[in-house]
Amino acid sequence: MAYEGQPVPFVGPLIEALLGNSVAPGGVMSAELYNVFGAMHGTIMVFMGIVPAAFAAFGNYVVPLQIGAVDMAFPRVNMASFWSFFLGCVIMTVSFFIPGGAAQAGWTSYSPLASVIPTDGQTYWLIGMIMLITSSLLGAVNFIVTIINLRAPGMTWLRLPFFVWAQFVTAFLLLLAFPPLEAAGIMQLMDRVIETSFFLPTGLVVGGQDVDVSGGGSPLLWQHLFWFLAHPEVYVLVLPGMGIVAEIIANNTRKPIWGYKYLVGSVVVLGFLAFIVWAHHMYMTGMGTVISAFFQTTTLIISIPSIIILTCLFISLWGGSIRFNTPMLFALAFLPMFGIGGLTGLPLGFNFSDVALHDSYYVIAHFHYVVAPGTIFAIFAGVYYWFPKMTGRIMNEFLGRVHFWGSLIFMNLIFMPMFAQGMAGMSRRMSDGGATYSLANPDNADITVGALGDTIMGLNVSISAAAWAMLIAQLPFIFNLFWSVKHGEKVKSDNPWQATTLEWETPTPPPHGNFTKEIKVYRDPYEYSVPGAKEDFTPQAQPAK
Amino acid sequence: MEIPYTVKPRPDTGLYNAKLGIWLFLASEVMLFGALFSSYVLLRVGAEPGTWSMGLMDIYVGAGNTMVLIASSMFVVLAWAQLKQGNLAGYKKWKWATIACAVLFLMVKWSYEWPSKFAHYDVWLNDAKVLHEKFEKGYHETASHIEPGGAAHDNTDAHDGDVEKYIEGIYTTRFFKESSVTSEDEFKKAWENGTLALSGHINSYEEAQIDFSITRWKADFGVSRADATKVLAKFSEDKADKLLQDGGELYEKTDYDTAKLAEYELGQAGFTVALSVAGYETIKKHPWMWGTKRVNEDIGGKPRVKSLVFGLDETQHHQEITLDVGDIKRLSAYEPKHSTFFGIYYTITGLHALHVFGGILIMLYNMLPVGLALWHKDREQYTNRIETFGLFWHFVDLVWIFLFPILYIL
Repeated sequence: MAYEGQPVPFVGPLIEALLGNSVAPGGVMSAELYNVFGAMHGTIMVFMGIVPAAFAAFGNYVVPLQIGAVDMAFPRVNMASFWSFFLGCVIMTVSFFIPGGAAQAGWTSYSPLASVIPTDGQTYWLIGMIMLITSSLLGAVNFIVTIINLRAPGMTWLRLPFFVWAQFVTAFLLLLAFPPLEAAGIMQLMDRVIETSFFLPTGLVVGGQDVDVSGGGSPLLWQHLFWFLAHPEVYVLVLPGMGIVAEIIANNTRKPIWGYKYLVGSVVVLGFLAFIVWAHHMYMTGMGTVISAFFQTTTLIISIPSIIILTCLFISLWGGSIRFNTPMLFALAFLPMFGIGGLTGLPLGFNFSDVALHDSYYVIAHFHYVVAPGTIFAIFAGVYYWFPKMTGRIMNEFLGRVHFWGSLIFMNLIFMPMFAQGMAGMSRRMSDGGATYSLANPDNADITVGALGDTIMGLNVSISAAAWAMLIAQLPFIFNLFWSVKHGEKVKSDNPWQATTLEWETPTPPPHGNFTKEIKVYRDPYEYSVPGAKEDFTPQAQPAK
Repeated sequence: MEIPYTVKPRPDTGLYNAKLGIWLFLASEVMLFGALFSSYVLLRVGAEPGTWSMGLMDIYVGAGNTMVLIASSMFVVLAWAQLKQGNLAGYKKWKWATIACAVLFLMVKWSYEWPSKFAHYDVWLNDAKVLHEKFEKGYHETASHIEPGGAAHDNTDAHDGDVEKYIEGIYTTRFFKESSVTSEDEFKKAWENGTLALSGHINSYEEAQIDFSITRWKADFGVSRADATKVLAKFSEDKADKLLQDGGELYEKTDYDTAKLAEYELGQAGFTVALSVAGYETIKKHPWMWGTKRVNEDIGGKPRVKSLVFGLDETQHHQEITLDVGDIKRLSAYEPKHSTFFGIYYTITGLHALHVFGGILIMLYNMLPVGLALWHKDREQYTNRIETFGLFWHFVDLVWIFLFPILYIL
């Protein structure tokens, strides 16, 4: 967005005013500030954005409704989870404004860099992470207990909407994958604060000086503990999205989800496999071919349930009388976008092709296709879909469409070129946007292979423009969200989408205690267009004759 | 609105909410401690030969604490059983016993085990020749008294004051348990390169006495003359004006803390000061948790500590040697930064101790009127609460049962 030595367009002066002119003199981003933004963008999006939105917010609101429960099982644990999250967010945000700025060592916080970096931001990051992790653990316990113990009479396991299944598996991932990162965070904190050497090897030299520590630690240990969380975390990010999309597709195709049991089976298998693929992020660390081969194999196996899920959702469209409303548009866009994200992951899962693509823009493009037009589109879909339940009003359809098409087009214009950049060899995490390796750089005059051509460098320009356009495309959504609360079209019934699941059995918006009548479940979650039925949907709570 | 199954179990799952919740919480705790135990394995397996200490823990104390925790685990069940029978007095009796065990456990750890380590040092020297001299001086007498085969260490065949053999015995026991080709090779390398450490206690040391003078006051620093005089008056009431005008000596032969505090406060008020070491005085003390930086900190070109009198381990009468700070490469107490072994030792036992401490707080809460109010309102729910606490407490006990062998015995 900003080129080396040039002020950041539009917001440069604001950055200078907020963060001080040592990190952004005249609105020009320093390399340190670039690293801060890189590290904190990842952290904020993953731990303060998608997890709380897709898992905690939708989960808290929709899961008790869909299983026919009066509330979450432990309201006070829920509150503790929220305040712990809040405190973590405050610590993370405050760290931008302390001397030296926020964390700079990437969202992965690799040691030894993260252990020896002198600014306090790195320490704030660790303390903030420990708070956020605690919050997720408390939330996960609450979700699992709620789903196991508070299901309404008749709500058997295979009558649960797929969204609930997705949240259930997600909660287990959080519960079991996060603690190792908490342990690792404590150890890295000790490395930073009381000079232990958990992640510092013997003979470490920083800036030409021997570091006065005992050494004997292992940087690889951090990576193992980190990715043991962070790979399951990828599924934490995407499973709730898949759940939302499944709900909306079933509702708007007016037919049952194709292969509900396959979906459930796949998501459970996915949950198990998610724990044994983590080291595919570490092929380049020299951990050995045997270990790499193992993780390559498990990584390819895990693509099977993912593909089953996607295929079931695609087949569900077949023969449906599809309603193309805004939530459905986002849900439909999720499928190919997540598909691109998933398929471009295969070359990264293979050892031999990862060697070339590792840490390049290709990786950036790949995982953003999974979480940005993937999960974030699913979150948008969920907001448009459940907004009438929360407020009793429908969001404006025209603005929704503008938002959708703008987002879809610019999202692709941002991330699609990055595949090309990555394959051309552009590394990620470079404060000069790859200029060091550019052919235009006089130092590279004698390089004939591997330098970045003008075409590749030029893509930075179109990507930047698309990113600004992407921001503008969100304005209709933001306006729509707040405007519709008061002025949106009123719903005519408690079930405006004519859906089958239990959340539409409540008054709108649901009162304290959720349901005003006795809830009992008689049938499967997606009984749309049942032959012989009076209407094209048969709610789960409708008694059998 | 009433949340179902808070007290009675749900028929098809057989669990009330809190019991399911605590099991899930414990599952996450298993992952937390599991990650730390895995880290222990990885660090230990990856440690270079001659760096992973063994046998430094007092097994008898550890075993005693294990018994204390196991007893407390039993008491917590007995307390719950009394509640089940509706006997509040019996419950309180066993609960106090549990709390007593937990407190005893922490006292042993926090007032004996850890502090004794904080005052115990390893010192590495820069020069192999100096190290050999120190070994010779410190261990000659002890090594001469050890007969072949009759040594404190089974694998020591030292005799006639062969210090190298005697040190090899200590080294082998600590890092390899028993003698092998590897241990012999590693010792030879370490002996020749001088990478062995001297272990023991600091019995006394020579610390700097500092002359402190003010060289000048910067009028353009941004502090008014009156304020600067006020700050200076805190340190020297009568001479403040004169010192501000002309500079001069503020303290003669003062101690480090006084000098550093004055340096900081006067620096904030725009003074330039000069610190120099006037001499050293001997202080008889067993200091805690000193590091290399603590002893060789530069004060006007001289180190803060000049020399240490070091009482050596594994000698008769804790033979003392004098170590010149200039010879010291690294000095560390048996604290977390000493080595990865102590790092993981303090992390796991510390996190475990934190769980014990949290457990004590919860038990006390349940015993206070505010906690007991639930008993008078709903006996079954209170009993459930004690049951779920018991599950947690057993888990804490179980962690220790894994932790004791891997950190104390192996």
